[in-house]
Amino acid sequence: MSLLARTYNIFSFLGYYADTFLTYLIDSIIFLLAAAIAIILTIYFFRKYMARVQLRIGPNRVGKFGTLQLIADALKLMGKESILPKERDDFPYKVAPILVFAGLMVAFSLLPFGSFFWVGNVVISNSEVGIILLFAVLAIMPIGEMLAGISSHNKYALTGALRSVAKDISFEVPMMISVLAIVVMASARTPSSLTIGSVVSTEILPYGILQPLGLFVFYIAMIARASYTPFDMGESESELVSGYSTEYSGMRFGLFYVGMFGSILLGSFIISLFYLGGYNGPYEWNLGLIYLLIKTVIVVVISFTVWLSMPRIRIDKFVNLGWKYLFPISVFNLVLAGFLTLYLGW
Amino acid sequence: MSEWVDLNVGPHHPSTHGVLRLKVKLDGEIVREVEPVIGYLHRNAEKLCENTFFCDNLIYFDRMDYVGAPGMEVGYLEAAEKLLGIFPPERAVWIRTIMAELSRIASHLIWLAAFGLELGMLTPFFYCFDLREKIMTMFVEASGSRLLTNYCSIGGVYQDFNEKVIAEIEEFLRVSPKKIEEINSLFIKNDIFISRNKGIGVLDKETAIEYGVTGHMLRASGVEYDVRKAEPYLAYSQLNFEIPTSTKGDNLARYIVRVEEIRQSVKIISQAVKKLPEGPFFNPKAKKSMMIRLRGDGEVYARTESSKGEFGVYIVGDGGVKPYRVRVRSPSLRNLSVMRELGKNVMIADLVSILGTTDLVFGEIDR
Amino acid sequence: MVEFQPGEERGKDGRRIIKVRKENLFETLKRLKSEGYIHLSLITGVDRKDYLEVVYHLHSLEKNEYISVKTVTYNGVVPSVTPLWKSADWEEREEYDLMGIKFEGHPNLKRLFLPENWVGHPLRKDYDLKNVQYINVDEDGEDYATFDQGDGW
Repeated sequence: MSLLARTYNIFSFLGYYADTFLTYLIDSIIFLLAAAIAIILTIYFFRKYMARVQLRIGPNRVGKFGTLQLIADALKLMGKESILPKERDDFPYKVAPILVFAGLMVAFSLLPFGSFFWVGNVVISNSEVGIILLFAVLAIMPIGEMLAGISSHNKYALTGALRSVAKDISFEVPMMISVLAIVVMASARTPSSLTIGSVVSTEILPYGILQPLGLFVFYIAMIARASYTPFDMGESESELVSGYSTEYSGMRFGLFYVGMFGSILLGSFIISLFYLGGYNGPYEWNLGLIYLLIKTVIVVVISFTVWLSMPRIRIDKFVNLGWKYLFPISVFNLVLAGFLTLYLGW
Repeated sequence: MSEWVDLNVGPHHPSTHGVLRLKVKLDGEIVREVEPVIGYLHRNAEKLCENTFFCDNLIYFDRMDYVGAPGMEVGYLEAAEKLLGIFPPERAVWIRTIMAELSRIASHLIWLAAFGLELGMLTPFFYCFDLREKIMTMFVEASGSRLLTNYCSIGGVYQDFNEKVIAEIEEFLRVSPKKIEEINSLFIKNDIFISRNKGIGVLDKETAIEYGVTGHMLRASGVEYDVRKAEPYLAYSQLNFEIPTSTKGDNLARYIVRVEEIRQSVKIISQAVKKLPEGPFFNPKAKKSMMIRLRGDGEVYARTESSKGEFGVYIVGDGGVKPYRVRVRSPSLRNLSVMRELGKNVMIADLVSILGTTDLVFGEIDR
Repeated sequence: MVEFQPGEERGKDGRRIIKVRKENLFETLKRLKSEGYIHLSLITGVDRKDYLEVVYHLHSLEKNEYISVKTVTYNGVVPSVTPLWKSADWEEREEYDLMGIKFEGHPNLKRLFLPENWVGHPLRKDYDLKNVQYINVDEDGEDYATFDQGDGW
């Protein structure tokens, strides 16, 4: 029994329409809070981990071990004046950070998180075409960045937006092809191979082991999606001041900031779901969420380590990497997956 | 022909080390022309020097290359002491040598940290500052201040090295080789770092000489020129060290030359600490009550090797207690002027990394 | 007024000082450059009240020798050496900016440090230090100097 079904049962006396409406509303609110807390924890963990790597202490003033630092930061960002550039393009300028943040949250709500004791299956939406929907929603975030860069009336922001676009088109094609390889493999085992939940439940042997090349391509694509070093050309601080978010301040900037860490978390969830076996684990079926979280945390730590130890790559070299290496590798991976599925029946 | 976009990089920009402004003409991602605009930190130290006593001018030199202040003091005193005819005793000469080399390491470490940041590497920054902090605590112990030490003075140094300073230097000598290798490996073992720097910003020998470039940029272009060897001052003639050179002339060569310079400086300090002679640290002819009565006549040009290159001071005296004219040859200014050549037809990201290897300190360029 | 005598002497630090007339300056430097003094290290102007002294510091990498070439000008004009050395470009601009020496034949003789419409040359001995000038920035980002405070920052 899933979380959704439980909530549905509680409100069943209200009739079908009110019941459905309330169920999804309440579940979404719970879910938004959970996602926000998860992102805050990610940022806190990042700051502590970064401090450890860099021979520092990290936040330690607000609250015990600096745990309240992030809340203080969020309050500070909200209290800041939002400075608007004079010659902005008003509507896209204001809607861009919301697009980035909303895209992130919707993408989170499409993922299944496995079961957790009496709560049951933690899932908000169980779409039949979940994979297509997920990557369609992921493609919203670059549009937000692009709008932000173009509408800011700033040359740095414009260059940052152009770089973002160049980066996005060069990694999204390999990413989609490597996801297609998973769908191909899953289609031999389950009739509904576009549903994320059923794809994950076929992973007795994780796809990361069956398709290491696909994992490699997808991981690089996820780094580029979250745009941290080495692939943070779009907002490279030392070159373009702050890239597409140069002209943003206050909470609007905060949304971009949260969007970046949210993308890291989201990418780690997607990787552990598709490639590392998701919520499948050795013992108890009810511990699915815990297994998923452990895998995600491992991926997050690896991502942070990559972030902290790499310099920034040049944009032309990244476009080269995307089209000349990642794309052929992902196509080869797709062919290999098809071969394994058709002839060997793996 | 496409139209080029004008872009002002700076004066407020994360990678311009303060207040450099680059007028850049952009063709998409490619920089077609660069014109550096300077003067935002101009204080006219040369004029200020004309209105103060010989001994007081030191503070203006501290504030030139503020990341390696003792090196600048040494440069001024080389000229001023020749003009005034007062020479420091042996121990002061060795103490100044040690301070100059420590300031060179401190300055190079700041450069290394900032260079990492410009390439997007956050972590080495803190490793560099961790090591630099040891030099800073030693400066505090010796002179009483961290950054602008004002430690050397005409006729010697302000106070003698005590046991604690020596112990701190020895502690630094013990830990630094390992730490320098650790920092170096963070850079040099990274493929992206190599690909960002190899073959980028190539400065050939002729252009370098034509533009008056000195220091690590000239040495990386294949000219073995170091004032410490060419015209030994202080105690450098009695010390054993090498001048690192490279013939490549690109960013990577400049990086390698500089890291090797840090290693050589450590070597120099370890020799100098052992050879540090006993004796007075101050020439009694320049005691405090006499200091403002010192008169200088004639003209003297002295050059020293600061952390950025050849640092020259030209003092003209007219027999008064104040210098008649002070002229400073700032190495970074010449190194920056070659940006007009290096910044043609490179990517924005490369422009930033070339700027990073140039090592600019604006207190010295604008004076 | 002291009569200027071309010739050669040694400075207090033992360096060779070659004194030449303004008319022969360019030829002398050209000859020295061909003799191996390829590094123009420094151009200095010294205000001697009646006349301006211009000192060129040259360095030879092969001979490892440092010499200075000295000339005087009574009207503040000397020939530019930008055709010989590219580094002379900024050096001469700096000296023009702060000392007011006009270099004849310089392609782009503008101020280097100070704004273009700054009044006076600060390193001259007759420069009035009490006269305060304020620097402002116009809409194009170029800075200009005025004697009144203007809008300030």
